[in-house]
Amino acid sequence: MSTAVETVKQITEREYQWGFVTPVEEETVPPGLDEEVIRLISRKKGEPEWLTEWRLEAFRRWKTMEEPRWARVHYPPIDYQAISYFAAPKQKERPKSLDEIDPEIRRTYEKLGIPIREQEILAGVAVDYVFDSVSVATTFKKKLEELGIIFCSISEAVRDHPELVRKYLGSVVPPGDNFFAALNSAVFSDGSFVYVPPGVRCPMELSTYFRINAAGTGQFERTLIIADRGSYVSYLEGCTAPMRDENQLHAAVVELIALDEAEIKYSTVQNWYPGDREGKGGIYNFVTKRGLCKGYRSKISWTQVETGSAITWKYPSCILQGDESVGEFYSVALTNNFQQADTGTKMVHIGRRTRSRIVSKGIAAGRSQNTYRGLVRILRGAEGARNHTQCDSLLIGDRCGAHTVPYIEVKNRSARVEHEATTSKLSEEQLFYCRARGLPLEDAVALVVNGFCREVMEELPMEFAVEARKLLGISLEGSVG
Amino acid sequence: MAMLDIEGLHVAVGGKEIIRGLDLAVEAGEVHAIMGPNGSGKSTLAHVLAGREDYEVTAGRVRFLGQDLLELEPEERAALGLFLAMQYPVEIPGVSNTYFLRQAVNALRKARGEPEMKPAEFMKRLREAARQVGIREELLRRDLNAGFSGGEKKRNEILQLAMLEPKLAILDETDSGLDIDALKAVAAAVNALRTPERAFLLITHYQRLLNFIVPDRVHVMVDGRIVRSGGKDLALELEERGYEPFLQEAA
Amino acid sequence: MAAPRYRTPPSELVRLGERLLPRLPGDALAEVRQRAWRRFLAAGIPTPRVEDWKYSRIDALMAQPFAAPTATAPAAGTVRRAMAGGPAARRLVFANGRLVAGQSHVGGLPDGMRVMGLAEAIQHRPQEVAAAFEALPAPGPFSDLNTALAADGAWIELNPGVRPEVSLQLVFVAVGEPSAVITHPRVVVRLGAGARLHLLESHVAEGEGHVLTNLVAQLQLAEEAALVHERLQAAEGGHALVGRTVVELSAGARLLANVATLGGAFVRNELEVHLRGEGGEALMNGLYLPRGREQVDTLVRVHHHAGRCHSDQFYKGVVDEQARAAFAGRITVHEGAQDTDAYQQNRNLLLSDEAEVDAKPELEIFADEVRCSHGATVGGLEEAGLFYLRTRGLGRAQAEALLTYAFAGEVVARFRDGKLARQVRQGILARVPGGAALDPEGLVA
Repeated sequence: MSTAVETVKQITEREYQWGFVTPVEEETVPPGLDEEVIRLISRKKGEPEWLTEWRLEAFRRWKTMEEPRWARVHYPPIDYQAISYFAAPKQKERPKSLDEIDPEIRRTYEKLGIPIREQEILAGVAVDYVFDSVSVATTFKKKLEELGIIFCSISEAVRDHPELVRKYLGSVVPPGDNFFAALNSAVFSDGSFVYVPPGVRCPMELSTYFRINAAGTGQFERTLIIADRGSYVSYLEGCTAPMRDENQLHAAVVELIALDEAEIKYSTVQNWYPGDREGKGGIYNFVTKRGLCKGYRSKISWTQVETGSAITWKYPSCILQGDESVGEFYSVALTNNFQQADTGTKMVHIGRRTRSRIVSKGIAAGRSQNTYRGLVRILRGAEGARNHTQCDSLLIGDRCGAHTVPYIEVKNRSARVEHEATTSKLSEEQLFYCRARGLPLEDAVALVVNGFCREVMEELPMEFAVEARKLLGISLEGSVG
Repeated sequence: MAMLDIEGLHVAVGGKEIIRGLDLAVEAGEVHAIMGPNGSGKSTLAHVLAGREDYEVTAGRVRFLGQDLLELEPEERAALGLFLAMQYPVEIPGVSNTYFLRQAVNALRKARGEPEMKPAEFMKRLREAARQVGIREELLRRDLNAGFSGGEKKRNEILQLAMLEPKLAILDETDSGLDIDALKAVAAAVNALRTPERAFLLITHYQRLLNFIVPDRVHVMVDGRIVRSGGKDLALELEERGYEPFLQEAA
Repeated sequence: MAAPRYRTPPSELVRLGERLLPRLPGDALAEVRQRAWRRFLAAGIPTPRVEDWKYSRIDALMAQPFAAPTATAPAAGTVRRAMAGGPAARRLVFANGRLVAGQSHVGGLPDGMRVMGLAEAIQHRPQEVAAAFEALPAPGPFSDLNTALAADGAWIELNPGVRPEVSLQLVFVAVGEPSAVITHPRVVVRLGAGARLHLLESHVAEGEGHVLTNLVAQLQLAEEAALVHERLQAAEGGHALVGRTVVELSAGARLLANVATLGGAFVRNELEVHLRGEGGEALMNGLYLPRGREQVDTLVRVHHHAGRCHSDQFYKGVVDEQARAAFAGRITVHEGAQDTDAYQQNRNLLLSDEAEVDAKPELEIFADEVRCSHGATVGGLEEAGLFYLRTRGLGRAQAEALLTYAFAGEVVARFRDGKLARQVRQGILARVPGGAALDPEGLVA
């Protein structure tokens, strides 16, 4: 079998395919963080006074907080004064139509496979394009407006829908929630805003594509999605960054609010630059994502495919407040080389007959460390709550680590919580079987790994599933050995 | 009045109506068979009669030996003489088969105002019944249904039937998953338990059980209702033509 | 500012220690004890901010004004009721941590087997005891407290190949005293290559009171040695037990560790198993049944350092009234420990809305040739099971009691000593709701 393993190693030395830099002139705020910088960001974005104050308050909180240290995540100290907190491609004003966008930026998205166009490949998806700190374009806005759906950058939302932003911003992830959420609240640059009015089923996938381009910057986007009574929306998030030797910080906050009988499906294909084979460079992905199932029978479903970033630290969570609300978490986290992933979810059952389901598939290769960390908490009033958790880990090679750290806390006797987890290695028998049927080893590995992840992949919207499957195969290249 | 008398029964499970107006009367000493395709509501009927709490009776009434059956708790129904042999008997590791049966026998006796059975007499009867049903003694010492094969579980249900001596025994798909030898053995045990006082309600998907336990009446159940009743020949007709014609009738 | 992870030890506890420390025998141990004591003072008492104590509430327990124990001997009946291990079993009896020679019986042991009180061992072989104390891996505050202040306990040695036919039972009696007392018994067991031992450990109570037993057991198994260790914690009432058991297994050694915790104000069973040689096996089973305001912590750490080992954890709990139970089990497969089989099951029955169950089953895997799994459940009784029993004529209360008994009984079935198993079964019947009304004939065999 070792020859097979060798073959895989040699198959390809293809590099991270999204690692190019766009030669666009950018305006960058000098590195450093103090109240002046925050006022500057707020001013550049033309924000109202209340938001400037909100940011400053978060900043003051942040200064009193300690940066977390996690048992299984290791990285050198981050110098927060060496980061530039705002970078934007220079342009006089936001283009009025998609045709006015800087051709370099247009080319960037062409190369990434998500052209800024409202037809052909992406006909079923409305996209908000975020380039470093700003949103550069949003497609299908008109069509969505006809249904009363608001889909725009959060900066526009602050200007055009201040009452909604003010009501919900920080209502799920308060500014002082944790160190990185506080930092984000102080300096968030852009991100997406979605509001779906009562009873409306959003007819297309909404998507944001995040691209870090500038050097020496961090990305701190903020996403806020509100699904009003009886509405439905499916939202996708994708991201890439150039290859750089330095580590770059990405500290986003995502807040979801589902009212009575509303449903939000949030999918992420995370492919930030993971660093090179020696573990140099890559994005630190420290993200706070939380959904509030506020209403009766509301539902929030997180699906994530995490293949990128040097370090991933994120726990997309659901607060199941409404009676009979439902939370779901489907995750594939794949680490290779020196990547570290510490990811999972929190399901907090407050309402009666709330249900949650967790399916986590971790794949560790190379010298990476892959941890599932999850919390299922059943509060006293959560009569008849149900949770089922399935956590599987796959190890490829003997230098990596796969860990499972679930916390289960139950205070109601009518609740039922079930957790199952397994860890095993990539099956030589399965690989051999595939190869004996004529599949090249590379395809065989991708096939077996995709099979292992199938339950999660099935949850992805079609437009992303194909891409995600390819990603899994590419991220594993050179890992069997 | 019939021993079991069901009138206009409607039952919903999780908000969905499964039984939709069912009438049935079973006299003492009779053997009735209810046949129907999957999802027709046969097993739901069996469980409702035994008192499953998550099944909601939305309309109709059921009288058993003159009493309103639906008013009673499962254990009260058992004490009255109703027995359900389950399709999937529950495994209870940690409680021996013998201990459990002794508790059940004495619970029924107590409910009827009879004294507990003496341990020696209980063991004597248990051994007899086990022989009759074809259960190895070793199985009596094992934990209740734990690690029993499919055939052993079904036989163990019949052993309980023999020991608890009900007036009406409902056999829910007792034939499913049995090979022909096991089926014959179970049928023989049931036939031996037929008396003029005891009635049986056989719930089955296939006709083959009825080759060995010959019913007095056969009912075809489709979509939560009995669509046809007849003698034992009805089962043969079903075997030949399948459920398709009945499904069309129902539609 | 973040809350402190450790709290300064209560001054009464510190004063008591300072007073006892210089009076303990064995000069050879003085240095080891002093170091442990200083570590304890520097660290303090863990709060829930310390990950391994996340679900433990011990402030009230530790704040008791502890005095040194004075009890001399328990009543003969107390010991008799606790007896297990067959009529020929040898026995060491302790009253609040002190060996009671008059009630102990360890005569007529086979050649190559030595059993003595720890005080005696300190007197006769101080260097070895010091070395054993020193060898305790990664001590925490309670272990340090024990190392500093352990005055008595058991010292058990079996030469290679020695396989006594009789079991050895340690009976720890918590004897109620006018003031709260804390004791620090230490148990050291060394099995030579191929040796075998069945060790029983019973904790019982006599009289009302507040005895905190801070026990450390070090069990060492050389190649191919086999140990059955069975602990019954039945010291109910205001008594508490913090017990840490550390087992080291060489190649081919086998461990069966069973524990049943009926009750106690606070009980913490820590089991740490190191599989250091190939082909080792560790089977661990546990049962806890807290009710009232009782708290039971179970912490299991299994380390696969070497390959081709097998470990299996099976822990169940029935938690009622305002009780709390926490289970934290971790399997660590270290780098290079290839061909490992490691399993863990934790099942909990929660019987009251005022009770709480916290479970944290962990896997930590650094090798790829492994078959590891764990499962954890928390919930009430299965409706399907209840229905089945009721259709056979059992009333709801009886059916619930029987199912609860059966749930707990599954662990007892794995106990080796018949007498101890019977005691556990009686304890289950006494504790589960409706258990007292069940017919014990046929259940408590």
